[in-house]
Amino acid sequence: MARRIVIIGGNAAGINAASFARKTDRDAEITIIERDKYAVYSRCGLPFVIAGEIPSFEDLVLYPPDYYKMMRIDLRTETTATAIDKDAKTVEIQDNKTGATETLEYDSLVLCTGARAWIPPIEGRDKKGVYMLRTIDDGRAISDAIREARDAVIIGAGAIGLEMAASLRERGLNVTVVELLPHVLPVSLDQDMARLVQKKLDEHGVRVITGKGVDAILGDERVKAVSVAGEEIKADMVIAATGVRANWDLAKEAGIELGRRGIKTDHRMMTSVEGIYAAGDCVENIHLITKQPSVCQLGTAAVRMGKVAGINAAGGHATFPGFLGSFVTKVFDLQIGATGLTERDAKRFGFDAVSGSIRGVTRAEYYPGGKEVRVKLVVDGETHRVIGGQVVGGEDVTQRVNAISLAIQAGMTIHDLARADTCYAPPLADVWEAIVLAADVTLKRL
Amino acid sequence: MVEVEGYEVKEGLYYSKDYAWVKVEDGKVRIGITDYAQKQLHEVVFAELPEAGSTITRNEPYGSLESVKAVSDLIAPISGTVVEVNQAVVDNPGLINEDPYGEGWLLVVSPSNLEAELGELMDFNAAVEWHKELVKGS
Repeated sequence: MARRIVIIGGNAAGINAASFARKTDRDAEITIIERDKYAVYSRCGLPFVIAGEIPSFEDLVLYPPDYYKMMRIDLRTETTATAIDKDAKTVEIQDNKTGATETLEYDSLVLCTGARAWIPPIEGRDKKGVYMLRTIDDGRAISDAIREARDAVIIGAGAIGLEMAASLRERGLNVTVVELLPHVLPVSLDQDMARLVQKKLDEHGVRVITGKGVDAILGDERVKAVSVAGEEIKADMVIAATGVRANWDLAKEAGIELGRRGIKTDHRMMTSVEGIYAAGDCVENIHLITKQPSVCQLGTAAVRMGKVAGINAAGGHATFPGFLGSFVTKVFDLQIGATGLTERDAKRFGFDAVSGSIRGVTRAEYYPGGKEVRVKLVVDGETHRVIGGQVVGGEDVTQRVNAISLAIQAGMTIHDLARADTCYAPPLADVWEAIVLAADVTLKRL
Repeated sequence: MVEVEGYEVKEGLYYSKDYAWVKVEDGKVRIGITDYAQKQLHEVVFAELPEAGSTITRNEPYGSLESVKAVSDLIAPISGTVVEVNQAVVDNPGLINEDPYGEGWLLVVSPSNLEAELGELMDFNAAVEWHKELVKGS
């Protein structure tokens, strides 16, 4: 009998689980259960539709219905999985529109239930005009609200918060970003690198308040202002970009073991229950460097976890090495990326961290149009291995982050990196690669 | 060749709703996949095709195409005996993306029930209409 694979959640992790399950087992019956009306759209693209850089929200939907037909995947949208019976190996599902219920039997189950936007318990958070950005519907609501709005406050200066700040500014609003921690992008960057981002936001007229929390969202029914450390900041719209929380209720009720911030998974993305896998934003796995339980709620991590879960769910064998958290974003014309541990986190996890940074250029000094790029490396002072990198600059940030990520994964030391063989031509690069220069600087500080 | 919402449909071919095209040549048929299909698959990285001498049966899988993101069965539009396999496509499956109606052909088949089966396929005009529906549905 054909293997029955049920995947709960049809987004980045879920569709990759389905594709790789199909590649592994050509005969399996593969079903995806998706609560939303749309399956597999790029959440990461939402801020750029709001900014007007992408024409429409529909452009974010990645596959037409025929794709699923060609793959022989039974995609059921607007359907909710309501319960898992891990002993009987069944999933209860309900059609959102008709309310009809059905019991699906499975041989392998993959949980890709994702995460939801989360807002801390700030007074006034349920007033009209307070938004979160997670779904296409959220994106549309924000896009519509911008037309009527003049002043926006964004709570949280993570990647989504800053991408939204730039989007709203580009659409002509007065924008204030409020971050409780001491600097912008507090998870990904150290303070010295974050300063470059803050400067860019200043240049574009975005007000950034760091180290202060939001006391309350003010107004009657609708938001009128936000109170930050006693100061009232005028606002007719507020976007809470305060992070996401794993959707794990279904797993929890089924008796699947949870970690601190996600569903516990092993190196094959299997949960505590044989035959049940999990992938994506709902998952806890290990961090590649700290070897501690960690979550990594990024699209790239989701697709890689989905691939591993799908292959294993279909009877193959694949392993997941853990998270490095490689990330890149764009705020106005500034590119920002990071991988591995920041210096601050490295110290927090007990590493004798040493760092070095340098400003390089993306083309030969004499070649017109080159942009500045700053590279920071973080090294374990004991082993001299590279354990983190941050890159901020006008161009060519992405592949520098990837190069540092590869160096970390390959276990390279800072000595190796200082001797790295890199490429050069005046219109495309400087003769000394900024990563190599940063390695030299770091070496001197060991 | 006409373009329907960004997908090419070629005159003089027959089409199946499993995204195959069929070209009748001197009593034999050449088979491939449509531009629409290759665009849904994206870069094809592996083509699993039958050997010359084997038989294929209409509406049944005879092989598969694997891309970076997907894998899809190839469903036979026509029954018959395989007389030629496009070795160039096996060696370089990217040909399917570059030229799905030309260099990217898959098989030449000696058909066993051509007249009856051709009647079940779409001609060019019907295929154009079908492509319009495909795009509307997505």
